[in-house]
Amino acid sequence: MIAVVKNLAEYRELMAVLAWKNVTLRYKQAYLGIAWAVIKPLILMLIFTLVKSFVGIDSGNIPYPLLTFAALMPWIFFQESASEGVNSVVGNANLIKKIYFPREIFPITAVVTKVVELGINFIILAGLMIWFQYIPSMYILWVPFIIFYTILAALSIAFAGAALNVYYRDIGTALPVLLSLLMYLSPVIYPLQLVKNKLLEQQAAGEWSNLLYTLYTLNPLAGIIDAFQSVVLRNQPPDLTAMVPGIILVAILLPLSYVFFKRAESYFADVI
Amino acid sequence: MPIIEVNHVTKEYQLGQLQSIKTTMLNQWRQLTGQPVEERAPFKALNDVTFSVEQGEVLGIIGHNGAGKSTMLKLLANISKPSSGTIQVKGKIAPLIEVGAGLIGDLTGRENIYLNGAILGIPKAEIKRKFDDIVAFAELEEFIDTPIKRYSSGMQVRLGFAIATSVESDILIVDEVLAVGDLAFQRKCFDRMEDLIKRQGKTVLLVSHNIRQVERLCNRVILLNKGRAVSDGNANSVCTQFYEASDSQISIGNSTNLNSANSNEWATGEILLHGIEILDSENNPISKLKHEQAVKIQLNYEVTKEIRMPIFGVGIHTTDFIYLATKHTINQLKLDHLEAGHHVLTFDIPSFPFMPGVYSIRAGVAEGTAARTIFYAENLLHLQVVSDNTEDRTWNEGLVSLPGVWRYSTPSSNLKEKTHDNLEKVSL
Repeated sequence: MIAVVKNLAEYRELMAVLAWKNVTLRYKQAYLGIAWAVIKPLILMLIFTLVKSFVGIDSGNIPYPLLTFAALMPWIFFQESASEGVNSVVGNANLIKKIYFPREIFPITAVVTKVVELGINFIILAGLMIWFQYIPSMYILWVPFIIFYTILAALSIAFAGAALNVYYRDIGTALPVLLSLLMYLSPVIYPLQLVKNKLLEQQAAGEWSNLLYTLYTLNPLAGIIDAFQSVVLRNQPPDLTAMVPGIILVAILLPLSYVFFKRAESYFADVI
Repeated sequence: MPIIEVNHVTKEYQLGQLQSIKTTMLNQWRQLTGQPVEERAPFKALNDVTFSVEQGEVLGIIGHNGAGKSTMLKLLANISKPSSGTIQVKGKIAPLIEVGAGLIGDLTGRENIYLNGAILGIPKAEIKRKFDDIVAFAELEEFIDTPIKRYSSGMQVRLGFAIATSVESDILIVDEVLAVGDLAFQRKCFDRMEDLIKRQGKTVLLVSHNIRQVERLCNRVILLNKGRAVSDGNANSVCTQFYEASDSQISIGNSTNLNSANSNEWATGEILLHGIEILDSENNPISKLKHEQAVKIQLNYEVTKEIRMPIFGVGIHTTDFIYLATKHTINQLKLDHLEAGHHVLTFDIPSFPFMPGVYSIRAGVAEGTAARTIFYAENLLHLQVVSDNTEDRTWNEGLVSLPGVWRYSTPSSNLKEKTHDNLEKVSL
């Protein structure tokens, strides 16, 4: 564990430069440039708001566009970090074959790149909050921890996925499909409170209700999205009971995923 | 204390593509039913290679295509791992396995210097310090803020080489990179390599097909053949062995069996070369000859249609096609016409002037006063020049022995003047 962190510290300059390269490259020959980073969540927010006006989702006392944007920010960050991370090793085949540095730098850099785009989305969030006249509280200091946890969750998928993708390119193709399914299993379109009400209070699934709720919160994104909305919009601390199952899952998956990646690493150059 | 130790290293590759689902299922089925499973034989790119390199040594690795040279470098650079055996490297390695790996077209030259520097492991402060040197060496001052996709390929390679050679490392791994850019830049690259090797005392591993370059830069050479280290030792002896091996592979032609598969032949059909032989003074055909031996080159032509006023020529070239010497029949042998049939031409060389090594023969025939080429072929016959004088170390310092006589005398006013005169003449 300490060795891993030390190794990463040694290569921080390289990671910074590679992340900077990723960001610059994506927007260099694009007219709208970095604005593309906010277009996706904004459009999804508009679509969801439109859909909501037909089906009616109870968003509590928070305006729905604001609530769903605050859900889309961590969700898109997670989704794109995971899929870019999975494709990062194959995408850098030319470097893998020519030069050595610890290969985990690729998935990590892919995720770090996404932090930059997340940062830009905070500007939009601030704009929305001003529009809807929301004043954040001290609880907003939780945000860095929530983002860090999201990074770890994304890396649990990215490490193993990136290694498998070298051998079977199916992974890189399948992952976006699986992740878009996962979105419906995460409180993006609807708030977590709705799930909680249905399962914990109304016991809608009978005796299975509590177990189902734990299973639902095993998805780290359930806790992440809810916590993000709480600290930014509801002026509340994160709901830890909703986060614990996900945290346990990540704590188990991340080391396994990393070890798997390091095992496979030696053969990347031969197979890729 | 060796800086690099390679112990019984073997590297195997699975040949062929990813197995399809069908094959996987079929193999599973066969395993269940006890039938033999279809297995692909592994390919041994390196087979039990052992060597070590001392600090400051310049080691060349030569061999034919597919001998395992690049695989060896990849293992040393930690890009790939050996299937068995161990590799120990003490010190930082800078791999120049491919110059410009990781240069990105959309970024400017300046941005690429920082990016590539970071990839090669140069700290940012160091890149900043060396930035001007790199730009100056690559001769790209005007274009440094232009995206490199607008660069010519030569400019890109220059930039890549300039960045890669500014890495401060203990060991430099170089794979066929010296053949970059125009002649002037190649010269600069070569000088930089020599500077790294001779003045900074770096340990260098060099892979090249340019044997002449290897011979010049390296003090030790390993010859790989089909994954095995065939020989390891002094640069000249191993390079000579490589030439001999190349020869036996090409199959040294004899009088009846011309080296036609490898010769570049061009003919109108009016005249055909039937045989070529090297003869010693007793007219015995030979393929090895001694330095300064008297030899004859005998050419056996068949003329299919009468030729008027033919001019014959024969020449010696190196295996990498540097034309060393040529002699025509003009002014020596006037033939009015040659009738259809067999004709033998012999070229006498009283003292073969070339240094030990492997050479090849080319020959040509032209017709008439307009000298219309009717036959021309290169790489016809390989001949090896050997020296029985092992004391003479000049034979690796050139291709031709310089005829001339050394004299010694004590300085006197008379001689000084003369020397001075001579020098002036030379400088003119």
